[in-house]
Amino acid sequence: MTERSVTHATFTLEQTYDAPPAKVFNAFADPAIKRRWYVEGEGWQVEEFTGEFKVGGYERSRFRFRGGELIRNDTTYHDIVPNERIIFAYTMTIGENRISASLTTFEFKPAGAGTKLICTEQGAFLDGYDNVEAREGGWGHLLEALGRALQS
Amino acid sequence: MSGRSATHGTFTLERVYDAAPARVFRAWSDVAIKARWFVGPADWHLIERAMDFRVGGKERLRGRKGSGVVSTFDSVYLDIVAGERIIYSYDMRLDDRHISVSLATVELKPEGAGTRLTITEQGVFLDGYDDAGSRERGTRILLDQLGAELRR
Repeated sequence: MTERSVTHATFTLEQTYDAPPAKVFNAFADPAIKRRWYVEGEGWQVEEFTGEFKVGGYERSRFRFRGGELIRNDTTYHDIVPNERIIFAYTMTIGENRISASLTTFEFKPAGAGTKLICTEQGAFLDGYDNVEAREGGWGHLLEALGRALQS
Repeated sequence: MSGRSATHGTFTLERVYDAAPARVFRAWSDVAIKARWFVGPADWHLIERAMDFRVGGKERLRGRKGSGVVSTFDSVYLDIVAGERIIYSYDMRLDDRHISVSLATVELKPEGAGTRLTITEQGVFLDGYDDAGSRERGTRILLDQLGAELRR
């Protein structure tokens, strides 16, 4: 029987991009662009990436890292303000174990000709399977991948 | 200037109920029981209640306050462990104004013959909406109403 536990934690990441807010926002709103930086990458096999970018819409990602266990991301969009803000809740599941539930706020602010992106994640890390340090590191890598996608 | 803002905050409340965890859990999972305690104040009138208690399922509670303002709670269940844990994310709207998004974790632990309930809310208040502690006060009232239901 699984010993149940929940650890709550919040972190904020900021990244500045040369691209204007509309272009950075579009990298979240356009599934073909988002797929490139959000789910694809060296060593990752993407089995599914589908969804509806609208308030109340779901997004499903199914992927594996180097043939490992199935990893699932189930996202629900709560708030979308074009070019300004996206708020979504999501769970991560590895194999049969749900490892986290999170609420994530992205704010897109003009910074000169570019964009300051602020990511705030309020998370519940479950049953000892995950922790806030790993999640913060994961988002850090994703925001770097987003930067590369914006340059291409 | 858009006036967009996002203010993040967290609170935790605890209660010990003289009822077993399975019974406290049922007060959250059974729509007929939940409808007796998950309600607004005396001058609040129900407009709509719907609940699909399963992971990925949605819940809605809409009512009119004495002031005439219509409040809408829209929720999605993210994690359910029978008798032990419920995690959901939810939006609150006052009329058409989206005032907040929150991640709520309800944990149930045996305490003697009863149950210790811990609720943690990690929330984001939107666009200058000043909660001023009212969400936490409202949650205290709901937990009191749950206690009254469990004493029936």
